[in-house]
Amino acid sequence: MKNMIKVLKFEYLTCIKNKAFIITTSIFMALILLMTFLPGIISSMNSKDNNSIDELPVIAVSDKAYKGDAVVKKVLEKFYPRKEIKLVDEDVDTIKSKVDSFEYRFAVILDTPVTYTYVTKNNSLMNSDTSTLNLALTDLFRTVSFEQYGIPSDKAEQILNTSLSFQTITTGVDQTKNYWSTYILIMLLYMAIIMYGQMVSQSVVSEKNTRAMEMLITCAKPSHLMFGKVIGSGLAGLTQLVLITATTLASISTIGSQSIPKEILEFINFPLSTVLYALLFFILGYFIYSFLLGALSSLASRSEDLNTLTAPVMMLFVIAFFIVIMAVNSDSVNSTLMVVCSYIPFTAPIAMFARVSLADVSVIEISLSVVVQLISVYLLGMLAAAIYRIGVLMYGNPPKPSEIIKLLKARL
Amino acid sequence: MELNIQNVCKSFRDKEVLRDVSLTAYSGSALGLLGRNGAGKTTTIRIIMGVFYPDSGDVLVDGKPLDRKKIRIGYMPEERGLYPKKIISEQLIYLAMLRGMTKPDAKTACDKWLERMGMSEYKNKKLETLSKGNQQKIQLAATLMCDPQIIILDEPFSGLDPVNAMLLKDVIREMISSGATVLFSSHQMNYIEEFCNNIAILNSGSVVLDGKINDIKRSYPRDRIEITSQQCAGISEFVLSRMSDMILSADIDTEQDDTVLIRLKNADFKGRLMTELSSGGFDIDCFKVCEPSLNDIFVEYTEAGI
Repeated sequence: MKNMIKVLKFEYLTCIKNKAFIITTSIFMALILLMTFLPGIISSMNSKDNNSIDELPVIAVSDKAYKGDAVVKKVLEKFYPRKEIKLVDEDVDTIKSKVDSFEYRFAVILDTPVTYTYVTKNNSLMNSDTSTLNLALTDLFRTVSFEQYGIPSDKAEQILNTSLSFQTITTGVDQTKNYWSTYILIMLLYMAIIMYGQMVSQSVVSEKNTRAMEMLITCAKPSHLMFGKVIGSGLAGLTQLVLITATTLASISTIGSQSIPKEILEFINFPLSTVLYALLFFILGYFIYSFLLGALSSLASRSEDLNTLTAPVMMLFVIAFFIVIMAVNSDSVNSTLMVVCSYIPFTAPIAMFARVSLADVSVIEISLSVVVQLISVYLLGMLAAAIYRIGVLMYGNPPKPSEIIKLLKARL
Repeated sequence: MELNIQNVCKSFRDKEVLRDVSLTAYSGSALGLLGRNGAGKTTTIRIIMGVFYPDSGDVLVDGKPLDRKKIRIGYMPEERGLYPKKIISEQLIYLAMLRGMTKPDAKTACDKWLERMGMSEYKNKKLETLSKGNQQKIQLAATLMCDPQIIILDEPFSGLDPVNAMLLKDVIREMISSGATVLFSSHQMNYIEEFCNNIAILNSGSVVLDGKINDIKRSYPRDRIEITSQQCAGISEFVLSRMSDMILSADIDTEQDDTVLIRLKNADFKGRLMTELSSGGFDIDCFKVCEPSLNDIFVEYTEAGI
C-alpha cells in the first residue's frame, strides 16, 4: 500500500511536469480566455469605424410614402429614443454622400409604406438596424392604417403593443436549460476518458519499451505499479480538468458576463448537480477504461502495437458514445436501450450521465448504476493487475486473446 | 548468510524452462551463473527476485523462505532499465524509496553512490544524455543504493571501458568483502574467474556443473604439461625418443615458439617426465600442468545443449 502511494505520487508528478501536459493545459486555458474575450475584442476592433458611426446623432428619413406626416417622426423617435430623426428632402445621391461623409448615422428612403431603402456606411453581420427598422416601419404602417379607419394613434398603439406574460412550471427536468450543457459535458466526458486512458496506455508501453519495467517489477508489486499509475494519471487528469473548469468559471463570471451575449451564457449554463454528476461519472469511466487500456498496453512491446491492442476497447467506447449522442438527439434518453446501457459498465458512465441530466431518474437507479460501475472498477482492476503481471515481462508479438486467458487460468 | 535455490522447476506455457535447479550462494563470496542464451539464467534470477513464482521448489535464506521485505536485494538486469527521460537523481531516489528507504535516506544514498561512481556532476541531468557506459554506472548505483545483502548482477561489464570496468570491479570486490552475497551472470569468463569462487553452469534449464572453480579444474585429468624453455625443439625431440611409450604428443606451441605442449598418456607419468628432463640437462624456465580454462569447461558442458 505504501509503495502504491509512492508510485502514485511519482506518476502524478511525472504527468504534471510533462511538457506536453503543461502545454496542452496552457493552450486550453488560453483558448478559453480568448473565447470569453473574443466578443469584446472584436467589437473593440470594429469600434474605430462602427462605434463612432453608431454615435452619430442624426438619422435621415426621406419620406415619399406618407407625405411628411408628423406621425413618421413620432413613431421612429419611439424606436430610436437617443437619435435625432431628421426628415429630409434630398435626392438619393446627396443622401449617399452625406452618409458616406458621416453626416448621418444612416438614412432611410421610404418609397411606399411597405418598401424602403436603407443607406449605411458599413454593413456587418451584427448590424441590427434593418430589423429595428422593420419593426418601426411596420408599427408606423399599422398606426397610420388604424388612423385611417378612425382609431386614434394612442388607442392603436395600445392594441398593437399588447404583450402576454407567462410562467412555466417544470415538474421533471427542464431540458431547455440542460440540453446544451449536457451535450457539451457528454463530449467532454468522452474526450477526457479517452485522453487520460491513452495517457496510461502510453506510459505503460514506454516503461516496457525502455525496460524501466525490469527494475520496477523487482521493486514493487505489479498490482501496486498498476493501481499507482492509473490513480496517479487520473489525479493528473483531474488537476487539468479542475484548472480548465476554474479558468472557464472565472473568466465567464468576470469578463465573460459582459462580453459574451446573454443568449450564449444561458446556453452554457451548467447546473451544479450536472457538473457533479459529470465528475462522478468521469472518475468511474476513467477507471473502467484505463484499467482495460493499461492491461492491454502491458501486452505490447512497442508503441506500434498499441493501436491494434487497444482498438477493441476504443471501438466499444465510440459505440457507447454514439448510442448516447443519438439518444440525446432523438430525445429518447429513457429508451430501453439507454436504460440497459446505463447498467453496462462500459456504456454506463456516459449513458447514465445523459439520463441523469436530461430525464427524471430515480435515486435507486442512479445508485444501482454507480454500484455496478464500482464493482466493475474493482474487478477490472484485479484483472488488469493480473494481465499486467504477465504482460510486462513478455516481449515479442502480443499474445492472442486465447493465450492470455490460458495464462490467466494458469495463474489462478 | 546462505542463499539456497532448491529444486526449482518452472514452465512457461508448454515449455519447461527450469528443471530441478538447485544452487547455493554464500555471503562474502560470489557465485558465477553461467549458461548460453536461453539456458534459464534470467528466469532463475527473476524467481529469486519474486517476479515469477516457481512451479515447485523454494528459494531459501539460511533454511527459511526468502522474505523479500526483510532481506534487501539489489538487481541489475541485463536489459538496462531506467527512465531515459527522467532526471537521474529523481529516479534513483524513487527506486530506492520503492525498496523501502525513507526519502532522506534515499537522498543520502543517491549522493553517496553517484559520488562513488564519479557521476555526481550528472545528478540533475536526464539519463538519456549520458553515454552508454555512464548509464551503466547509474544503473549500478541504482542497484547498490539500498545497501543490498544479496546482489544480482546480470552482465555488469558489457559496454564499459577498461577504466570503468576497473571501477566496477573495485566496487564489487568491496561489496563482497563487506559480506554481501553476489550472484554474477556473465559470458565474459575472465570476469567470472576473477570474482567467483563458485560457479554453476546451466544448460537447457538444468544445472550441469557446479562447485568451486578450483575443484572443477582439478577434477580434470592433469595430463597436459606445458614447458617453457629456449631449447624447446630439443626437448620435443628428446622426450619423443626417450618416452614414446608414455607420451601421446609433444608439439611446439604455434603461437609461442618457446613453449612445448606435452600430452601424457597418464597423469602419473608427470614425475617420470621431470626426472627425464633433468637428466637431459635442459635449461627449463617453467614446467606446469595445463588446466582447462573456464571457457573450455563452459564450451564442453554447453556445446551439446539447446
